[in-house]
Amino acid sequence: MTLDSSRSLLIRLFTLAFLVLVPPTAILSLVALSDFEQGMIPELDRKAAAVGRDLAAQVERAVGYGIPIDRLVGMDEFFSPVLEANPEIRYLAVTDERGRVLFLKGAEREALEPHYRSADFDLARDGRKASIADYLDLALPVAEGGRRVGQVHVGFDAGYVRGRLMGILYDVGVVAAVSLIVAFEILLFVVFFNVTGPMKAVGHILDQVRRGDFSRVAAVPSQDEVGRFVRALTAALRSVDDLYRRLMAYIEEVKTAHFDKGVVERVGEVEARVNFLYRFATAGSPKPMHERRATDIRLPLFLFVFAEELSRSFMPLYVGELMRPIPGLTPELITAIPIAVFMACIALATPYGGRVAERLGSRRVFLMGMVPALLGYVMTGLAHSVYDLVLWRAATGVGYALVTMACQRYISKAVSSEARTQGLGVFIGAVLTASVCGTAMGGVVAERFGYQSTFLVSAALVMLSGWMVYRLLSGTAEESGDLREPSRGELAGLLRNWRFSFLVLFAAIPSKMALAGFLFFLAPLHLAAAGFELGDIARTVMLYPIAVVLLSPVVARLADRTGWRAGLVAVGGIVGGLGLVAPALLPGIWPVAVGIVALGVSHGLSASPQLSMVPDVCWIECRNIGQTNVLAFVRLLERLGSVAGPLLAAAFVPVWGLSGAIVALGAIVLGMAAVFAVVSGAYGSGPHISAEEVA
Amino acid sequence: MIRRLLLALAVVLAAAPAVAQDTPKRPYRIYMALYRGWEEAAQGFKDYFTNQNIPVELIVRDAGQDREKIKGFAAEAKALKVDLVFTWGTSVTQEMLGPFDAPDPARHITDIPAVFAIVSQPVGAKVVPNLESSGRNITGTSYLVPVETQLNLVQSYRPFTRLGIVYNPLEKNSLVAVEELKAQGRSMGFTLTAAPVDVVDGKPAPASIPAKVAEVKAAGVDYLYIPPDTFLNVNRDILTGAALEQGIPTFAAAENPVLTSKAMFGGVYRYYTVGQLTAYKAEQILVHGVKPADIPIDAPKRLSIIINMPVVRALGFYPPMNLLGVSEVIDGGEVRP
Repeated sequence: MTLDSSRSLLIRLFTLAFLVLVPPTAILSLVALSDFEQGMIPELDRKAAAVGRDLAAQVERAVGYGIPIDRLVGMDEFFSPVLEANPEIRYLAVTDERGRVLFLKGAEREALEPHYRSADFDLARDGRKASIADYLDLALPVAEGGRRVGQVHVGFDAGYVRGRLMGILYDVGVVAAVSLIVAFEILLFVVFFNVTGPMKAVGHILDQVRRGDFSRVAAVPSQDEVGRFVRALTAALRSVDDLYRRLMAYIEEVKTAHFDKGVVERVGEVEARVNFLYRFATAGSPKPMHERRATDIRLPLFLFVFAEELSRSFMPLYVGELMRPIPGLTPELITAIPIAVFMACIALATPYGGRVAERLGSRRVFLMGMVPALLGYVMTGLAHSVYDLVLWRAATGVGYALVTMACQRYISKAVSSEARTQGLGVFIGAVLTASVCGTAMGGVVAERFGYQSTFLVSAALVMLSGWMVYRLLSGTAEESGDLREPSRGELAGLLRNWRFSFLVLFAAIPSKMALAGFLFFLAPLHLAAAGFELGDIARTVMLYPIAVVLLSPVVARLADRTGWRAGLVAVGGIVGGLGLVAPALLPGIWPVAVGIVALGVSHGLSASPQLSMVPDVCWIECRNIGQTNVLAFVRLLERLGSVAGPLLAAAFVPVWGLSGAIVALGAIVLGMAAVFAVVSGAYGSGPHISAEEVA
Repeated sequence: MIRRLLLALAVVLAAAPAVAQDTPKRPYRIYMALYRGWEEAAQGFKDYFTNQNIPVELIVRDAGQDREKIKGFAAEAKALKVDLVFTWGTSVTQEMLGPFDAPDPARHITDIPAVFAIVSQPVGAKVVPNLESSGRNITGTSYLVPVETQLNLVQSYRPFTRLGIVYNPLEKNSLVAVEELKAQGRSMGFTLTAAPVDVVDGKPAPASIPAKVAEVKAAGVDYLYIPPDTFLNVNRDILTGAALEQGIPTFAAAENPVLTSKAMFGGVYRYYTVGQLTAYKAEQILVHGVKPADIPIDAPKRLSIIINMPVVRALGFYPPMNLLGVSEVIDGGEVRP
């Protein structure tokens, strides 16, 4: 079950997936792209000519009415709709017969005029094409009474075609990378489910047999070679069991029927010896052993989280599209509400999900959670106002909480005998990989097919993941957990532990605040306002999970080796805060990307040390009310930050603008991180018990 | 245009069986009472029937701007037992159809359905109680562009803060226009300089117009607004000529000052279009049996912006490109201020 023991197999599988998927995709894309490029350039030329002719005709009409070409009125308003409707047209201009720029929109006069001055505009009716710096300039003559009085210029961005091609190339790259990862997830699942898992089970059984334990057989339902092999083994074990039972029956017969005491004694000795050396099932036959493997739930969880992450990068934009003014609320607040409500629903439903999962078992809770999630996605796609959108997002949040809790419980039950860290690794790994893939893919799907279709894709993925859980996870009754409900007093007692409450208040909460307020809300809005396409927004937002994925494992090992956890949490918080303050120090839009990467680095640095610090700082409480309960309480508290983040950000926007709101949010996060950094110095003093268990 | 075509098609299809049956029947007889001769609205009215292939017999009477002549029209229409009466202008309409609250069956047309056109204030003139329904056997068209639309059009030519108006204090249309402009000025943020022409012997004096124009010019107005006023229409050359001489751009709420005089531009419903719309309503009554009270009084959907290019050139005050693109341009040679 651990990834380490199958590493070489996994590497081979990944290589195989890579070889099968990437070269054909790359070759096909390159061929398609060069065709596209060939087709696009003449298309652009035709468009420029059409736009230019239309404008020139209108200018000519005005000049024909006796309006001097240098005294045309309202040229900005005249040019604007054309520029807006044709993003590939960078500027429009009118020059007089000597090449002096009279009217210009979209470019700097200084860049064009010297060129126009020296050009010879005694041109043919269909104009003259020239290349000026980064522009392609098409000049069309304007005549009045047979005399040329000036020119209309249509300026194209020479890089436009290249830009469009790059955009498509990025999309193809994203699709290829995501396909690769998804294919790998599926291979992983298939191999674990059908080969590695049963083999491990067989190994386990044989291990027991070697020690003389014949009480259990492997339960493998599959019909393939592996299944046949396992069944053959099971048959052999059953026949051994059968022989044992026949022997016992014979011994019993001898014992009851024989009169010779010596013989009975000898037989009794044989029986005792056999029962001492070998163990057989007490019930009539060997018990099938259902082994749960954390990896069984990985693919369904991956698909479910993938579905949610699809809309990550454009949710605020989608809300904006549905928005009607609501009296008393700013547009930003209306945009933030569905995000905050989603977070709040997760926070509120998570403890409930945990309890229900204990009672009903993971499989049933996973399927239960699917219903609101599925309904939520379909209806979110069909929403016609912010009001019903909020409702559907709330439903999705509840479903999300139930499903993730079900998965967490499944994994923790499956790995209770082994290292829990590895089990959590399966969980976090699936969530993070899905986060990278989902965000990136969502941008591509939304840009090409629209928001609605993306939500329907989410719904389809949820259905698929539910189907897998329904079909593949065994519905066997699960042993009920011995989890005790902590009382309110005990939780309040936790808060009185200053190490605990400082950790939650100044590290956990601000980190979620930055995540939900900045990454989920302000960043997409700001990038969209700066004119980024959906695909580009998604690729920028995706930098966050990538940074986390790359950093997390390294940091986890570092933290375990050095024990420098509080320090890492403090540094992480400060890095994140500084990243968000970046827009105050740097101009333009790219500080947003800096902030996103910084946030990824921040959470990569602090997330896992933060979790493993919890048993450190409240060892006694963990003993008393259970570490799982304490961690669940941390989760609940930190979600306060997820709810507050977007609302706070929305309140800042009307005051300081998008960029200012990021800085303000960053200042708060930075301030809180600084408090934690100062206080964390004191964490080492006083009673300090190192963690026995790392979660 | 497409809507009009579809509508026409629908009408033709719907009417086809009826026409086939009624062909032997005599054409519809329509009594057309005009005030100042055969002009565009009457032509549009007539052309509609020709284009729709509806046989009509038009009995045309012209008052020649003489109110006395109108008095005999109603009696004649009744005696001829026509199918429908068409009235042109406020004076003819009031005289023939009477006020909505007290029509006199002896003096006014009450039994024969009637359509009116070119009545600037159908409600103010008490022809109908409101524009949704006349409540009686008549309907009609309005032809004035709402003042707010007109002013927005002026703004789109060039933003302004002062507007001037020279008007006839004896004419109700003008007084209504002045009041409306004042109200709009408060909400749109401009000041109105209103100069009534002098009244001599109970009649407005055309000779006083140039002095009044000079008066509003002195107040520093950006535009001179020409209301739909019969007196000013008659004396439009004096008014627009004076404005051009003073270098004031003029906006006219009716088409004549722009089309046949020296107003700079106007936003109007063309009389021809108004005549066609009136004929469409007549068709609803005659061919489709719709009750006149069920047909609301409205204006054509399409606004015509007319720019008088010689005046524009003389003033050197050029229209924005986008406005020029949607305007009809009148360019009949040069004018001199």
